[in-house]
Amino acid sequence: MKVSDALSGAIFLALAIFIFVYSTGLPPMPGQRYGAGAFPIVIALGLGGFSLLQIVQTLRRRAPGTPWVELPEWARDRGVLFNFVLALALILVYVFLSERIGFIPLSIAILLLLFLRQGVSPKASVMVAVATTLAIQVAFADLLRVPLPRGILTDLLW
Amino acid sequence: MDTIWNAILLIADPYVIIVICLSSIFGLFVGAMPGLTATMATALLVPITFFMPTVPALAAIVTASAMAIFAGDIPGALLRIPGTPASAAYADEAYAMTKKGQAELALGAGVVFSAIGGIFGTVVLVLAAPALAEFALRFSSFEYFWLVCLGLTCAVFIAQSSPVKGMITLFLGLFVASIGLENPAGTPRFTFGSIDLMGGIEMIPAMVGMFAIAEVLRALTTARDALPPPPSVRGSIFKGQWRLTKKYPVQILRGSSIGTLIGALPGAGADIASWITYATSKRFSKEPEKFGTGHVEGIVESGAANNAAVSGAWIPALVFGIPGDSITAIVIGVLYLKNLIPGPLIFEKQADTVTALFVIFFLANIIMVPFGWLAIKTAKQMLSVPRTILMPVVMMFCIVGAFAITNSPFAISVMLVFGLVGFLMEENGYPVAPVILGIVLGPMLEQNFVTSMIKSDGSFLAFFARPIAGVLGVVTLLVWAAMLWRGFRAWRMGSPAGAATL
Repeated sequence: MKVSDALSGAIFLALAIFIFVYSTGLPPMPGQRYGAGAFPIVIALGLGGFSLLQIVQTLRRRAPGTPWVELPEWARDRGVLFNFVLALALILVYVFLSERIGFIPLSIAILLLLFLRQGVSPKASVMVAVATTLAIQVAFADLLRVPLPRGILTDLLW
Repeated sequence: MDTIWNAILLIADPYVIIVICLSSIFGLFVGAMPGLTATMATALLVPITFFMPTVPALAAIVTASAMAIFAGDIPGALLRIPGTPASAAYADEAYAMTKKGQAELALGAGVVFSAIGGIFGTVVLVLAAPALAEFALRFSSFEYFWLVCLGLTCAVFIAQSSPVKGMITLFLGLFVASIGLENPAGTPRFTFGSIDLMGGIEMIPAMVGMFAIAEVLRALTTARDALPPPPSVRGSIFKGQWRLTKKYPVQILRGSSIGTLIGALPGAGADIASWITYATSKRFSKEPEKFGTGHVEGIVESGAANNAAVSGAWIPALVFGIPGDSITAIVIGVLYLKNLIPGPLIFEKQADTVTALFVIFFLANIIMVPFGWLAIKTAKQMLSVPRTILMPVVMMFCIVGAFAITNSPFAISVMLVFGLVGFLMEENGYPVAPVILGIVLGPMLEQNFVTSMIKSDGSFLAFFARPIAGVLGVVTLLVWAAMLWRGFRAWRMGSPAGAATL
C-alpha cells in the first residue's frame, strides 16, 4: 500500500503525541530528576519533530489531485492480494491455534494452502508440505528440544 | 601465541567443522536465491545457533553471511537479477560479460576478489579492534553516550533514502527499545498490563520479522513466474584471475579499504559499499567508457568491497557494541544471548573466543573459493528451486524459529507485526536499518544518558568536560548542525531536492 508521505507522517506524529502524553504520566525516580519518562519524552519530541517536518515538506511539494492512498500494482490482482492477506492470516491462525491443534497438522495445512494458492501442483504440494514439516519437527523438537506444540497428536507422538 | 593455539583447538572440533560446512552451503544458497538476503540468512540461522555453544554459533553466522554476500553475484551474472542487494551495483556489468561469453571470468572474479576483500577486511578487524579496545577502555558513560549518538546519526546520514524518513524510523526503533521493564528506573513502560510486553520486545523475533517475513510478503506480491533458466558455466572460472590481480592491484586495495571502512561505519554495510566502490572504480578508471559494456574492473573493486564490509562491520560491533550493519545488529543480539557482552573488555575476558572468531573469519574467506566454485557449477540446479515453494517454507521456518527463542507464541506475533510494518515501510521508502539500530542501541543510549545525568547532577556541561567526550560531543553536534544547515538551505531555495538532502 502506497500512502502519501504526509499521511504516513501524520500517523507517526500521532504516535509521537501518544508517547509524549503517556511518558509525562510515568512516575519520577525517587530523588532523581530523570525518571522512566525522560528518555521516551526525548523520543517523542524527535519523532514528532521529524514527522512534522515530513508533513510540511510533502504538502509544500504536493501537486493538487495526488491521491492520499494508492493501491500498488500488485494489489489490483485479486489473487495476489488474497495470497498476501492469506499469508498474514495463516501466521495469526498459528499463533492462536498451535497449542490446541499442534505443530504438525497445522504446519502441513498452512504450507499446503500457500503452495496450492500459488499454483504448485497438488502432488508436489503434499510432498513438500509433509517433508518440510517433518524436517522441522525432527530438527527443532527432537534435536534442539524446542517444545513445539503437539496438540491433537499428543498421544501419538514419540 | 597460547591464545591462537587455544583458538585453533576450539575450531578443530569436528562439530565446528561440520557447522562451518553446512552454514557455507546454507549461506551460498540463500545468497544466490534472489529475494533472500545475507541479513535474512543470518536472521534465519539465529534460532538454530541459539542452541549451540558460542564458537560454532559465531562460526555459523560468519561463514553464512560471508558466503551469502559472494553468492549474490551468481544470479547477477547469469540472470541479471542480483541475489542480494550487495551485488546489485554490478549485476548489469556482470550480465553484460555473460552476454559476451565471459560468464566464467565474471563469476571467477566474483569469488576470488570476494575472498581477497574478505581477508583484507579480516586483517583490519584483527589489527584495529584490539587497538581500538585498548583506547576504549578509558571510556565512561559520557563517551559512550556520544559514540552511540554519532553511530545513530551516521546510520541516518548514510542511508540512501530520505534522511527525514531515516530519522523517523530511527526514533521508531528507539521507541520499540523503550517498551518493557528493562530501563534504569525499572518502571514498566508501554506495557498496558500485558505480561508479555513487560519483558520488552524480543530483538530476534523482531528482526526475523523485518528481514525475513517482510521478504516473504514481498515475494508473494511480485511476479509469480519462475526464474528463467540460467546458462550453465562450463569453463574454468579461475582462468585469468591471476592476470586480473596483477592488472588491478590498486582497484583491489581501494575496494577492500573503502569496503572495510564503510562496513565499520554504523548503519551501512555491504550493499552501500559496493555501490560506492563501483562508482569510485569508474571514476578513477583509465577506461571509464568501457563500464557498462561488460568490463571486469568494477566487479573486481566492488566485489572485494562488499565482502570487506562484512568483516569491517564487526569492528564497532565487538569494541563498542555498536553494529556496523544489519547483520552485526543481529550478531550483537546473539552475543548477548551467549553472555558475551560486546565492549573493550571482551578482548581480555574472552580472548580465546575472540581469537577463534578471527580464525573463523580467515577460514570462511579461504574456503569461499572451493565452496564458491561448487556453487557456481551447481547454479543451474540451485536457481531452479521455485520461489513459490521456497517462500512458504521460509515462512514456516520463521514461525518455528521465532517461537524457539522464548517458547512463547507471543514471539510469533511480534514477528508478524514487524514483518508487516517492515513490508509497509519499504513500500513507502522508509529505511529499515535505522529501526534495527535504534532497537539495538536504545537501551545503551538511555543507560549511558541517565548514568551521565546522575553523575553530573543534571548538568549538560559535564558531557563535554572529559577530553575524549568533549571531542566526540563537538563532532556529533557539528554533524547535526551540518545536517540542519543543509536542510535549511535547501528549504530556502525551495528546491524539491531539499527533502532528499537534509
